[in-house]
Amino acid sequence: MKNNPLCLVALAFTILLAAGLRAAPLADARARYADGEYAQAEKLFEQALESSPPQAAVFFELGRCLRQTGQEARAALCFRRALVLDPRFTPARLALLETNTDLGLPKFPKIWKDHVLERIPMDALTLAGTVFFWLGAFAVMLLAFLRASNGKGWFALGILCLVGGAAALALAGICDPRITDRTTALVLKTGGSSLLSSPADQSEKTAALPDGGTVTILSQRGRWFYGRLPDGKCGWFLTEGIVPLIPPA
Amino acid sequence: MKRAPAIFLSLFLTASSLCAQEIVAGLSSNRAQVGEPVQLVVTVRGARGADVPETLSVNGLRINLAGRSTQFEMRNFKMSSTLTYTYIIVPQLDGEFTIPSFDVSIEKKIYRTQAMRLSVSGRAGAPQAQTQTQGPAPMPPTPMPPGPEPSAPDNGRPFFGDLVLAKKSAYVGEVIPIELRFYFHARIGGQVGERPNFSGEGFTVQKFSNAVKREQIVNEANYVVFSFQSSITPVKAGTLDIPAASLEARLQVPGKAPQGFDSFFNNLPIPQGMFAETQDVKVETRAQKLDVMALPKEDRPADFSGAVGKFTMETSVSPKKAGGGEPVTLRVTVSGQGNFEGMGAPVLTGDEGWRSYPPSDKFHSADAIGFTGEKAFEFPMVARQDQTRTPGVRFSYFDPSTGKYATLTQDPLPVDARAGGASSGAPRQTTGTAAPAAPSPTPDITVMSGGASSWTALFFRKEFLAANAALAFAWLAAVIAFSVRRFSASPAGRTLARKKQARQAFARLGGIAPASFYDEVSRFLALRFNAPGDQASLVERIESSSFPSEIKSSLQQMVARHAESKFAAGGSVPPSAEERESVLATLKELRHEK
Repeated sequence: MKNNPLCLVALAFTILLAAGLRAAPLADARARYADGEYAQAEKLFEQALESSPPQAAVFFELGRCLRQTGQEARAALCFRRALVLDPRFTPARLALLETNTDLGLPKFPKIWKDHVLERIPMDALTLAGTVFFWLGAFAVMLLAFLRASNGKGWFALGILCLVGGAAALALAGICDPRITDRTTALVLKTGGSSLLSSPADQSEKTAALPDGGTVTILSQRGRWFYGRLPDGKCGWFLTEGIVPLIPPA
Repeated sequence: MKRAPAIFLSLFLTASSLCAQEIVAGLSSNRAQVGEPVQLVVTVRGARGADVPETLSVNGLRINLAGRSTQFEMRNFKMSSTLTYTYIIVPQLDGEFTIPSFDVSIEKKIYRTQAMRLSVSGRAGAPQAQTQTQGPAPMPPTPMPPGPEPSAPDNGRPFFGDLVLAKKSAYVGEVIPIELRFYFHARIGGQVGERPNFSGEGFTVQKFSNAVKREQIVNEANYVVFSFQSSITPVKAGTLDIPAASLEARLQVPGKAPQGFDSFFNNLPIPQGMFAETQDVKVETRAQKLDVMALPKEDRPADFSGAVGKFTMETSVSPKKAGGGEPVTLRVTVSGQGNFEGMGAPVLTGDEGWRSYPPSDKFHSADAIGFTGEKAFEFPMVARQDQTRTPGVRFSYFDPSTGKYATLTQDPLPVDARAGGASSGAPRQTTGTAAPAAPSPTPDITVMSGGASSWTALFFRKEFLAANAALAFAWLAAVIAFSVRRFSASPAGRTLARKKQARQAFARLGGIAPASFYDEVSRFLALRFNAPGDQASLVERIESSSFPSEIKSSLQQMVARHAESKFAAGGSVPPSAEERESVLATLKELRHEK
């Protein structure tokens, strides 16, 4: 292969072709959206998402298409998925706020995690935390064994790196929506669903699960989920119409 | 037959102690003229006696205990007693007076009446009774007009009903509080239904409040009154027939002694209710008429949404500062008295720069029938352009007291709301006053978006885990290496190494050449006794050791033999096999160092 430049050319061509094929539905989808052909654009965006790794921008664009066709709850799901991938994606956050308002969902006040997510990228935080943690760990270990004279300052710096790195990793673990939202799901059912006191059709309804609302799934029994609403209420609801926020692998 | 009074007495004593204690205090009227006496009656049930104050001190009123009466009743062999303490109140000044609560002591327990109000004026007040009952505080009653005192039934029946309408004429849509009162003479016991039956054509009726039980003196007779409050709303103009309302009750009505009792027993003070009869009755009020007028068409505001009553309006906004595209909530609170159920939402004015959504509403009633209260409308809004002021609010209603329409307006409130940049959804305009919102221009999304391209957090990715595992392994290996190195340099590490070398030297003795035998023996002894260097120090260590003298002597001979083999001219004689065996046997004793 080294001796055959044609092989290299063929390889490069194949890579470019694959990239071009992958980008084609996305470009087409954007063109359809710009022309107001929202139904076609929706299909193409979905195709693009199926054929390539998930991207926050594509989910956001698909959500916009769905809003234009009146599918508010599905749009909310797309905006939420965009925010899971990129919590700092402001357009998706704003669109989700508007969609939730349209759906008549209550607005919950921001908590400290939201502020962290809006300011710090989680992967960068994880990487930085890892680097600082190991730098600190190695520095502390070397300084401890080598008993370097005048090394107190360096030792303190190493401890600082170690603790800071561990704190950054803990923060990323607590805030990263790909971890915290693993059990979150959305209600995609016209008219919503109901939270029941027990896993039986005739049991008492304790709350309404509005279309587009979120629930945290705690366990499953047959065709019933046991979960918790954002306001803390717990109960049972049918699995139909409940879509996980993070798509199953 | 002669023992019958004793049986009655014992039954009375047994049963009366089982009854629950209750205190009710009430005025015969809450309005009076100066000098016109009013009765304050304190009724104590379920007790044989009570201590009450002889006088009550209220400036402007003279209140003295006038008398006490006791009443016994027996129903189904269950005895109850009722004590009645009557105070005479003589107003000496005009004005509004509050008769304070006072203590009533019953069998060492202290009960308190509730405070009562008495209005004294120069002119005659309507004889409206006012009573207070102990117990949990109910919803505040809707103020009813001072209706006429119900007349005692002329047919002698000990119960009757009364319907009190707040107004005799009203407008379509106006809420008119009503009160149904069912009077039962205090001597009658029994049970009444939970709700009265009341319906009719041309008006709607709200759900009735729970019954409020009180006592009232009517024509000098004590009555227990069950009152139910509600409201009616006329839906058509004209004269409405308000039909009679009824309440079902099962009563224990006092009867006559059965035939066969001689006149002697009839003259005894036999408790009332001894020969009570049970009757199922339907207590009815009188039918009434209500004149209903249509709402005027003149001067009707365009935004009139059906509110009839008397209202005020307040607005607030939260948050006062909103980032791009974040919604703010304009809260409009309409409070007062009227038809809150049929009331439409206020109208936003000057909201062109806002995208507003249908408001949610929540009603908080201040009385039991939903006539008085406040209704809060919350308008979620998103700024389409940067805004420093909310929209204004306008609310129109019809005021039946003036017969005219009124409009309340609220100026815009200061707010700092930034326009959202991502909006592209279909707008939902609700107020009809703003122009439809155009989709916002969309920035280049691909440029704006970064973020991850995987649903798996970095924590759980294979590459991340592998890199961290490698780093952890390297760190652990370094820690182990440094630890071993530090241990080797320590006294304990050196001792361990020396012992190991000694064991190795001893192991070599078995197969070593005879010429080098004592060299190796000497090396072993130097390691064993930790005597590096010269021979003298080794001898000294052997001498100072705790071994038996025979072994010490043998060891010193070995050291001497080594010196001989090392320094003697021509060398020494190699050890014989027997000598080697003997040396090895001696050294074997030293092999294991303590």
